[in-house]
This record gives sequence, structure tokens and C-alpha cells, in this order.
Amino acid sequence: MINFTINNQPVTAQKGETILQAARKAGFYIPTMCYLEKTTPCASCRLCVVETDKTDGLILSCQTPPIEGLSVTLDSDRLKTERTNIMRLYDVNHPLECGVCDKSGACDLQNKTLEFGVSAQHFSAKEQHRHIEHWGLVNYDPSLCILCEKCVHVCNEIIGDDAITLQFGGYKSSVIPKNSDVLDCTFCGECIAVCPVGALVSSEFQYSANAWELSQVPATCVHCSAGCSLSYEVKHTSTSNGEDRIYRVTNDFEHTTLCGAGRFGFDFDHQASKDEAEFAKAIHAIKSAEAIRFSSLITNEEALILQRLKEKTGLKLYNEEARAYQSFMAAYSSISGKSGFGGSLDAITQSDGIIVLGGRISTDNPVVRYAVTTAARHRGAKVIYMHPLEDELLQNVVTQFVKYEVGTEEGVVAMLAATLLEGADISEENREYFKELDEGYLCAESNVGDEEFTRIAQSMKRAKRKTLVIGSDVLNHKRSSNIARLCAMIETYTEFSVVVIPTNVNTVGVSLICDLDSDNGSANVVGYNAAGSYTIGSFGDAMLPLAALNSQEGTFVSINYQVLPTNVAVAFKGYTLNDLANTLGVKAENTIDYTLALPREKGFERKSFDDLGNFFGALGEDYRGYMLENRDIEASGVLEEIADLPEFNGTVVYRCNPVNQFNSYTARTSQLEKDTTLRGSAQFAAAAKIGDGDKIQIEFKSATQERIFKLDTSLKGTVALVPAYDEAFGALNEQYRFEKVKIMKMGSGS
Amino acid sequence: MHHEEVFTNRNVSESSAYYYVDIETYPTSGWDKFKQVVKRTFNGELFVGLWVVLREMIKFDIHTLQYPLEKLPIGPRYRAVHKLLRLWESGYERCIGCGLCEKICISDCIRMDTRIDENSRKEVTEYSINLGRCIFCGYCAEVCPELAIVHGQRYENASEQRAHFVIKDDMLTPLDLLKAGEQAEYPGFGAIIPGSDASVKKTPLAY
Repeated sequence: MINFTINNQPVTAQKGETILQAARKAGFYIPTMCYLEKTTPCASCRLCVVETDKTDGLILSCQTPPIEGLSVTLDSDRLKTERTNIMRLYDVNHPLECGVCDKSGACDLQNKTLEFGVSAQHFSAKEQHRHIEHWGLVNYDPSLCILCEKCVHVCNEIIGDDAITLQFGGYKSSVIPKNSDVLDCTFCGECIAVCPVGALVSSEFQYSANAWELSQVPATCVHCSAGCSLSYEVKHTSTSNGEDRIYRVTNDFEHTTLCGAGRFGFDFDHQASKDEAEFAKAIHAIKSAEAIRFSSLITNEEALILQRLKEKTGLKLYNEEARAYQSFMAAYSSISGKSGFGGSLDAITQSDGIIVLGGRISTDNPVVRYAVTTAARHRGAKVIYMHPLEDELLQNVVTQFVKYEVGTEEGVVAMLAATLLEGADISEENREYFKELDEGYLCAESNVGDEEFTRIAQSMKRAKRKTLVIGSDVLNHKRSSNIARLCAMIETYTEFSVVVIPTNVNTVGVSLICDLDSDNGSANVVGYNAAGSYTIGSFGDAMLPLAALNSQEGTFVSINYQVLPTNVAVAFKGYTLNDLANTLGVKAENTIDYTLALPREKGFERKSFDDLGNFFGALGEDYRGYMLENRDIEASGVLEEIADLPEFNGTVVYRCNPVNQFNSYTARTSQLEKDTTLRGSAQFAAAAKIGDGDKIQIEFKSATQERIFKLDTSLKGTVALVPAYDEAFGALNEQYRFEKVKIMKMGSGS
Repeated sequence: MHHEEVFTNRNVSESSAYYYVDIETYPTSGWDKFKQVVKRTFNGELFVGLWVVLREMIKFDIHTLQYPLEKLPIGPRYRAVHKLLRLWESGYERCIGCGLCEKICISDCIRMDTRIDENSRKEVTEYSINLGRCIFCGYCAEVCPELAIVHGQRYENASEQRAHFVIKDDMLTPLDLLKAGEQAEYPGFGAIIPGSDASVKKTPLAY
């Protein structure tokens, strides 16, 4: 704790806090143009200057920590002159096009110019001719750019794409793509969000609406399990169509980070009217079906409706993806004695030692990737990435890549646990268990050397806050329960906290609320956003259309075990699941009436939907929904012997979506790139005897599909990536993500 | 000439300026009514009227306005149906699509569609005012930074539907009229004051 004064009033700062942070916490106002809470200070705008009694010159409050007894002045005449002059310089030759600029009305430069009363141009500079750049989803107008560097910092420190940089040249400086002519990145659009002026804008949105015409609908992103906070911004469709449409998605960029799917993949809503005949058919289908198969793109409330239907009518509930997570967590709890894992996205961000195992986080859950990147950049975290496939998107942050053979996760986790649990206070039987591990066999089969584990142990020894991130590969592994127990051992007996990445937005919620049955693949099943003999829902060709998730209100449970509310952005005129349930005898007026009834024994609170907040405070306090209680559970689990490690020889593909693609919703958005090709390395192509652009047929165990093969030079090894978002072959995590397939060439490429 | 009537006593009494109009009593019986009709029909007043019309027609000095072919000039600040003007020199639309009129409109009857065009400029593809809701307050013309949306002189709003739209094509000055110099600069509320060319500054420079 450091005591100092601001404008003669006593203020205390935590260790490591800057003057600006302490001042803002204490309620003092210091103007800034380039400051972003979540990055290191850009220190480019110099608006945050303050005077102190210990320095002669002005100092930057955004990067200077206070010292004991310091006296800081925020608003002397000298400071006012200094800041006004800075604003005058910012306004030199800034195009007077506020009338058309997208940012007008929400522009930092506009606000500060008015705040400091800059009404005339006091300095002159030669006007330059500058080209507007078109970088795909992003447009960049260098003449509007004020070179605050927020975009560069966020791209490098938080996202990890490191795709843009500043081209220094004094007055001619501008933002340029790094090492490339065009912007080559994952198109998260975070640069657009942080841009304080209209220099970086969404090309699709540009000039289609003004900031003040749009109404913000606070919601939760539905594409992955991170459950990011976002606002759908809606306005009437056109002069002749008064129905609302989503124009863009914005986020509270000071405190959250959104990926490209969240930001650009918003137009997945669909429309339908009430067709009574079809409704009667749906009722009949549900009554005569033996089960409902559903995906985890569903709200907690709807999941509870399904559960009630099951209780009332004896229908079975199929959701293999959530069931895998459910059984994984059951096994996990049987060792850890807690209902959930202890880590969170915040925990990853705060870590200085991270192990990622069994998942391609950069596409499975981009926010986990951003958390890992932030930890690596801000805390110098050691990042160990363990996976059969190297990930190019993580290459800037990963300090050690450990490649293991496909299918050997159990052995790898066992060895990892043995390494990390060395010297830990574990029971005699467990110590015996790890001692008796056949290290030679495990290392040989998994192809991970002893020395690699030694290196892991060394780099983790120095770390103070450690996180183990478990990807969704292991959820559907044949030995997932034992893997879960081993992971739980690590969390329980070491300093590691564990984060398990659920697959879909509400995998966690479904696993808590629904009593799921084992899917026997039967035909007489009603599919809700899933395959079935009769289908309902918002995916593609559902026979009875129900509202898509941006036309629904309800809650999700995120990877952080946080219950997050979402709201209706676009009205839906058709039926809802609640209408079906009401006819079937499970009665409630509105779907959100079920929010109160969410099972308390699973950690839900007795809170009604309308009492849930969905916003952040000025200092980043999270007022979204509530945290699930991490309940105590009887820990009676015992570690099992490691089974023989399977071998995956021949042609192996990995179900893995391309960047910004997650599910049927993202697949039908207009802006996101839809790559449906099988991507493989040159080595894979040679082994499978196919070439770039070839039309191929992939024969899976249960189905075949046709795709185009694309040679991807960034990939290595013998495993190819097959997308699952287009649902040509089930959802991502209905089974183990690696599969041995047969590939046949149907026709050659151009 | 201004005529000022002095009239302050508002008491209705015998001595005041008010008096009862002497109205003939209405006939009550059928016979009396018949007599009144005959008297009114055949006392020649009809021909007096007809003669006046004939006399004026022969003189060919007609003061009647041939509406709707002719219209009386209305005051320059009269706020009738809106117009969208073009730039004199280039013929481009003045409207930049800033949306201020849409925002300020208190009856919320202005809507516009904008998009980015091929030259990365903002293009107004559609502009409409719902005249069924418009209260002709003139805020849109006043707020317009480009003097693009103005009130015109057209006051007829007859239509098959009360809330008939005014669309952009109806309001925008046609190019041929612009070239013929027939676009009238709006002299009403929010217009530039005469001689303001002299005081125009390109950029507010302090030096």
C-alpha cells in the first residue's frame, strides 16, 4: 500500500498500480486518448500528464507508479495548457468529416476536442494524400488515424496475432500490416473496437448507420463456451422495412475481448411464422418419439424445459457432447471433491505458468488463447502446449511444444501428473500408483521423451500462479474418466488450477441441468438443433422453426461457471420450445420463468431473469449474472490403471474448425469466411496420395462426406484438419476428435 | 393601413355596443313556408347574381386564381413539403447522410438508407419522410449542415393514403431542372443569410 495525495486529498495505491489507476479508483478524472486498461500503457497521447512535487517536468500518470508521500496535482493551469495543446495537435488536418464518419457521436477525439474547446486550427501542416486501405473485414483510413497505437498493442498483447504495426515516419506515420501487404490475421476485429476515432472500421458496417441510431441489446455470445459479453446493435432494416436487424456487434473493449465470430458472426437469426399444422405435427412427433436429441446451443431455461419433459413423459434426452463433459466432470469431482474445476479465464490471464493439453484452443475457444497470450506478454508466462498438432497461431507465445501421438492422452496426462506431483502431499496409494507407472512404455508410445517432462517440471518450478488448460479432445477419449481423475489430482495436490474447455456455449449448463441418456443412434428421435426423424430448432432446414439464440432470452453457463443472461436482439414470430412444452403439459407462461427454477442443488441461485445484470462497472467490475457455487462433493474416486495406449496409424483426420467458425450459426453468417476444405500438410498429401484442390471423399466410421483438399503449408505432420462447423458430419465433440479415415480421390484440382 | 379599433367594454348590456340582430321569424305553418319559398325564388335576386358574373366575364378582367394551374405565392418561411437540393456546380446531392435530421425529428418520421459506395464515400440510397406523421416543424431543415433538406412550397398532400411516403426521387431536384437553373435556394428557416459568401471560412484557422 502506497499513500500519496492527489489534489491534496489522500489516496492509496496497491503495489504495482500506476497513478492513473489509483486516481481512477479514487474517482479522479484524468483525460486519456491512448490508455487501455487491458494492455500495457501505449504512452503515446501524453494527455494523462500530471504534476508532482518530486519532479520538475510533467510525468505520464499512465505508466508511473506513485511513491510514498508523493503529492500529485491534476488540474493546474500548466497542465490545462499542455493538454489543450495536445488536442490542438491532434486536430491538425483531421478531416472535418464528422458528418459521415462512423465514429461520430462515439468518438474520443470529438469528445476531447469539445472538452478542451479546440475550435480553430492553430498549427499548420501540409495536407497529405492518403489512401483508404481495404483489409477484408476491416477498412483503414490513415487520414483519420491519430496514431494512438491502441490497435497495435491489443493485437500484439491480447490477441497474439501480431498482425499490425506502426510505420514510423513522423507526420507520415500510419498503421500497416506487419510483414505483409494485406492484413493477414484471424480477423477478431478488436482493433476496430479499440480505435478511438473512425480510422479502423468494419467494412461491412461502414456508413450503414450512425452510432446514435442503434439500440444496444446486451447479450452473451453463443459461439463458444467463453460466453463473452457483447452488445447486438439493432436498427430498422431499411426505409421500407421497419423490422429490426442487427447492424454490428460491439463489446466493452476496456474489459473484455471478442473474437471475430462474436464480432462479425451475428446475423444468424432467422424468421418464421406460426404454422399451426406444422406445430401439430411437431407435437405428434414428440409424443411418438422415444427421445429428443439436442445440441448445447440452448439456454439453461430450455434445457430445463427438456428435463421437465423427460420427467413428465419419459422421453429420453440425447446430447453426446454434453454427456461427455458431464461424465468427465463427474470423474473429476470424484477426486477433487469439488463440483467444478478451480480455474477460470481470469486465472489463466494472471498465470505465469500455463500448460495447455489436448485441444486446439485458438479455434476451439479464442478467449482462452487471448488469456494465454495476455499471460505470456504481461507476465512472461511459460506456455507449454501439448498436442499432436502444432498450432501456428500460438507460435508467438508457446515456449515449449510437446507433441504426443494421437490417442495417447491418458499416458501423457499420467506422466504429466507424475511429474507435477513429485514431492506433493499425496496419499501412499497414489504415490505407489505413480511410482508403478511404466514410464518406458508410456514415453515410447506417446513419443514424448523423459527430458521433455523434466523441462516442463523445470519451467513450472519457478512459476507462482499456474494453470492447466484441458482441451476438449480428452472429453470424448475412451479413457476420459481416468484422464479427468489424473487432472483432478494435479489441481488438488499442486498449485495448479485447472480449466476444462467445454465445447459449446452451454455445454456446462446442459450437463448440470439435464439427466442425459446414452445415444443409441435410434431413428425415432426428435432433433432440436440436431439430427432426428423430425427436427425442430433454428438450424438450417428444421421442420418446425424455433427462435435462434439471438432471438431468445435466457441464460448460459460459461467456462467460468458464471450464469450469463442473454437478450432478444431480433424478434422471432414463430413458436418457441416453451409453446411446445405448454401443449405437452409442462406449463409456464414465458421461457424465462424457468430461470427461478434452475436446480439449486447444482449451484444455481434462486434469482429471476430480470434480476440478472449484464454489464461491467467503470473499473471493470463484473456485474454479469452470477457465479455458480462450487459445491463440495464426496471424493471417493480412485485412479485406474493406465490402459494400453491406442495407435492411430494410416490416414488420420482431426475435427477442427477453421478460425472464426464454430457451429451452424457461424456457418450461415454473411461476413465470416467459410472454409470447408480438408486442410493437410504436404506430408499428409503425399501419404494420402492427393494434391491441392483435389476433390476427395472421406470415409468416416459412420458416414462419408465429400470435400476439397487444401494444402496448408503452415501445417506439419500426418494429421489433417477436417471442419465440423458445417455439420456435414455431426457436431465437433460428439466423439473423439481424431479419427482414422479412408480418403478417396474423386477428381483432381485445377 | 393599420386600423386600431378601440373596444374595451366587454359588458353585454343595453348600453354596450352589442345589439340583437333583427331576424325575421321563421314560418311555422306549411302555407307560410310555401309563400317564403315562392318569394325567395322569384324576386329576381338570382338574375342579379347571374348578371354580375356575365358582366365580369365580358370585361375579361378576371381576378380568380386558376388553381391548381396557378397558385398564390406563399411566404418564404412557409414550411411545406420537403425538398432535397443538389450542389450547384457539380450536381451532386448535397445530402451526406449524416443522419442529424433523422435524429432531431420529433415525430420520428425521417428515415434514410446509407451505404459505402465504390469510392469509399457515404452514399444515401434512400431517403423518406412520412408526411402522415410530419408536423412540419422545420427542425430537419434547421439542423442540416449541408442545406440539403429544406422546406419547399408544395403544400398539397392529397393522396390515396394518409401516410403516403415521400421518397427521395420526389424530393431531389431533377438534374435537368438544376442545369436549367431552376433549383431555388431555400430562403426560409436555417437558410444562409444573404451575402454570407463574404464571411465563409474554409477551415477555422487561427492564423
